[in-house]
Amino acid sequence: MKRDPFVIVAVAIVVAVMLVFALKLARRSAHVSGTALTQNGDAPDFTLQSVEGKTIRLSDFRGKPVVLNFWATWCGPCKIEMPWFVDFQKQYGPSGVQFLGVAMDDASTKDIAEFANSMKVNYPILIGKESVGDAYGGVQFLPETFYIDRNGKIIDKAFGLKGRGEIEDDIKKIVASAAVANR
Amino acid sequence: MSETKSNANRIASAAALFLLSTAALLAQDTPGRKAPSVTLSSAPPTTVIRGKATNVELQFHVGSGFHINSNKPAAEYLIPTTLKLDVPTDIVVGKITYPAGEEMSFAFAPDEKINVYSGEFDLSVQVRPLATMLPGKYEIRGRLRYQACDKAACFPPKQLPVEFEVKVIKAPLPPKKNPAQSPHAHT
Repeated sequence: MKRDPFVIVAVAIVVAVMLVFALKLARRSAHVSGTALTQNGDAPDFTLQSVEGKTIRLSDFRGKPVVLNFWATWCGPCKIEMPWFVDFQKQYGPSGVQFLGVAMDDASTKDIAEFANSMKVNYPILIGKESVGDAYGGVQFLPETFYIDRNGKIIDKAFGLKGRGEIEDDIKKIVASAAVANR
Repeated sequence: MSETKSNANRIASAAALFLLSTAALLAQDTPGRKAPSVTLSSAPPTTVIRGKATNVELQFHVGSGFHINSNKPAAEYLIPTTLKLDVPTDIVVGKITYPAGEEMSFAFAPDEKINVYSGEFDLSVQVRPLATMLPGKYEIRGRLRYQACDKAACFPPKQLPVEFEVKVIKAPLPPKKNPAQSPHAHT
């Protein structure tokens, strides 16, 4: 049986388009069911307790660029980037940048606080909840970091450990985008 | 002419393959990451003599691209790999021997070493059926707790159900001694 090359390519294009379309549909339905990341790019608001027992809302920081970092005490890569975050909080704090760490593990509040103290963390550490993880797309692995501008929009996100330079570039982006928004 | 057609077919097939591979890559579940897998290789039941301690070897496999912390991961905050077993009442579980892990570090922190298992690794479980136990096959169940990472991210701790069989047998009879010759054997 002779095969027409154009038919082969046409069939492949149709199958490829169907695959990608099915994926997009599946992701969209997953987001809807899990009240995941909002479609307009707004960072989902949440209320969590800090390790000091304070109630903290993400919306409390509206007007500031926020680096929202999901981490856990058992996560090696998270531990690597924490000292960088401490440095960046010092460096970019005067520009309004606020880091928030959300601990997504089963350790006690005391253990999480001790761990954060041992890392000399200088930004709020919040005790995470599954519902907050779901709102941010499920947080299936750690670290996951969301870069939120002064208007509460997610400008960028990083899944897994990135280099210090890449992290700083993302921080600069939210600082810059905030300046544009304030014009 | 037929050679031109054959070439066109080849090019079309290559283009089709490229398109489908690209689409398949785009269709991956999480952004650029697959979930880790740890499995227990199936093995025939280990024969153990009742009343006697025997080591049962269990072989695990960590999926390609992942590692799990060893039993001694070199940092207090890391979750070690541990095996917990629920055994039948007539079987005593002795020492579980974990292999030494291999040292590795993440790309962005080459100085910080962790101790991990990757690929295949074996655990050795010492079991001793009581001397009064009925011979037969017995199933031992448990859970392997592990926490997996790839080169840049870590996944929440998981528990792998573990099941294996031991075949309990009676101790073989001692070799028969030749009976001493009776002084009345030759009459």
